[in-house]
Amino acid sequence: MKLECQERTRHDCLRILDGRDAALDPLRRSNLVIVGGTGFVGAWVAEMIAALNDAYQFGIKLTLISRNTDQFVNHCPHLSSRADIALLKSDVRQLGQFPNNADWVIHAAANPDVRTHASNPLDTASVIVDGTMSVMRTAERLGQLKKLLYLSSGLVCGAQQATTSGVKENAQGAPAPDASFVYANAKRFAETLCSAARAQSRIPALVARPFSFIGPYQSLTTPWAQTTFLADALRGHHIRVLGDGQVIRSYLYGSDAAYWFLKILTAGQSGDVVNVGSSAGITLQDLAQEIAKNFEPSPEILFNTAPRNTGRAAQLLPDTMHAQNEYGLSVFTPIEEAIKLTVQWHRMMPLDK
Amino acid sequence: MINNQKIVISDPTLRDGNHAVSHQLSVEHIASYCKAANAAGVTIVEVGHGNGLGASSLQLGESKTPDHIALATARENLINSKLGIHVIPGFATIERDLKPAIGMGVDVVRVAAHCSEADICERHISFSREQGVEVWGCLMMSHMISPALLLEQARKMESYGAEGVVFMDSAGHFLPEDVQQRVETLVNGLSIAVGFHAHNNMGLAIANSIAAANSGATLLDGCARGFGAGAGNAQLEVLIAVLTRLGYSTGIDLYKMLDAADVAENLFIKEIPAIKSVSVVSGMAGVFSGFMKPVSRIAREFNVDPRDIFFELGRRKIVAGQEDIILEVAKELVQRTKKGNQ
Repeated sequence: MKLECQERTRHDCLRILDGRDAALDPLRRSNLVIVGGTGFVGAWVAEMIAALNDAYQFGIKLTLISRNTDQFVNHCPHLSSRADIALLKSDVRQLGQFPNNADWVIHAAANPDVRTHASNPLDTASVIVDGTMSVMRTAERLGQLKKLLYLSSGLVCGAQQATTSGVKENAQGAPAPDASFVYANAKRFAETLCSAARAQSRIPALVARPFSFIGPYQSLTTPWAQTTFLADALRGHHIRVLGDGQVIRSYLYGSDAAYWFLKILTAGQSGDVVNVGSSAGITLQDLAQEIAKNFEPSPEILFNTAPRNTGRAAQLLPDTMHAQNEYGLSVFTPIEEAIKLTVQWHRMMPLDK
Repeated sequence: MINNQKIVISDPTLRDGNHAVSHQLSVEHIASYCKAANAAGVTIVEVGHGNGLGASSLQLGESKTPDHIALATARENLINSKLGIHVIPGFATIERDLKPAIGMGVDVVRVAAHCSEADICERHISFSREQGVEVWGCLMMSHMISPALLLEQARKMESYGAEGVVFMDSAGHFLPEDVQQRVETLVNGLSIAVGFHAHNNMGLAIANSIAAANSGATLLDGCARGFGAGAGNAQLEVLIAVLTRLGYSTGIDLYKMLDAADVAENLFIKEIPAIKSVSVVSGMAGVFSGFMKPVSRIAREFNVDPRDIFFELGRRKIVAGQEDIILEVAKELVQRTKKGNQ
């Protein structure tokens, strides 16, 4: 990775930590394990830990467990080569043990690629459900575990219509029980496993429900709106928007998300559930326009030839009042800035890594 | 009366129609029809071998006009209309076929698979999407699975990056209520546009297309004079007229579309598609319309009733690409007849 990219992600972390580092003091001289730690979330949390150690002398030891450690070494050599970050190659379903001195565990193992969910629904479910069972069984043997944070999904409450406000943590909806929603249903059941592990084994588990993110480390080959718009623009193509562009999403920048996770991990009560995302909705048309602004000449925005005639998934927004009131969390990087930073980072990186 | 709701028309006269002339459409045919369709304001004109890009072969029939020449000819003559291609993974490979086609200026890629096999489309859809062209998924022989399973397959295509899903009544088997049920299921279950491709085996191609539009489909396929495999497709100029009377907006000039259909008839439609006896049977049996010619030929050769072959193929749920089974079925029917006579 280019030095400029490393400097930018470090700057992003320091910008968030400025004046907020003390809130993460419980992490000082502790041992943190991230299972599924080499994806978007893992890379950003590792960036944040590195920044805390370098700039604020936190002395955290971080262990990243993943099937894809080789890929992480290639993509993030500045992180993988650090003495305070250890890599452990393992499938989440076959965890032998965590480092015995682990104080904190973040369980983020799952494949978020919707194409994999569609083509391999059983594997998708297995990684999430069997993986969570494995994490809980392994965590039972930890003597000094302070907290375990499970990264669930904002989709566990099912489809949200544009007529409702953001999804609250206690919303009663659920995804339809068919293969198309295997990811959301598996995440939902994994939340149940967290609750079961609390009840049976006294594991201090809490749940974060991520919604949509944007930023460096997000693969532009995934078919999400923000990544495809960015990839279109970076390739010099028109930006293609599905349907009429009125679908509403919201995005939280990578370094913001990393800080949120660490804050929830350290300050949260066992059993709590917290939405992680931005409550500031943006239509896909506006998102495309915001991305286009960062390019010269500005790419044309094209809408689908045939109009969409459906009412499904018109909106996916979290209600973040709980994160705001209980944890003092807010969006630190507004969407315009988040897009600008993401574009700048990807411009320095080869496309389609 | 519908209030000016937009319906996008995709015209596969020069692709599905190629089945009807054993893939013998020439450069002149392609150029003339593209010019006429473009003048009429047809939104998408599909060009190529009947089985799509890269399908020209001894087994499926060799194209008179190679893909790259057909596409270059069409591109030159489609100024406002979009150039579309039909792509079946396996026949069309990404490096050999899809990449050069997109490089030649294809606007719309329609990646097709048998209705229960959407998985095979992942790479072709993703690649097309990454290249910045519009990409649709097509589910062929869609009468062979239930609406719920059709939705599951369509959702796969959506997850791969398809901007819409067209379900194809490849056998001309559906009744309007079948179409309505499927469109409603797809419209309610997908976030992307839904389209329908009709065949006319039971004389219902127009009625089924209208049922699709009335149920929420926003893309319809139709061919000039219904020129397509077997009993043909929805006759485009009729479809435009009916949609106009119902109050839908297609952006197509009816007079010029009628002229384009005349061009097609005068230039290359040797035989206007008709609902022959075997077409009715293949529609009832739910067998791909493209089987008409090989079934008729083999039936003559073995002196068996082609209608019996179609019903047996339907019972066995045979799909395109399994043409060799026709021979097996014909032989079996001969043996059965012999046994019956003993």
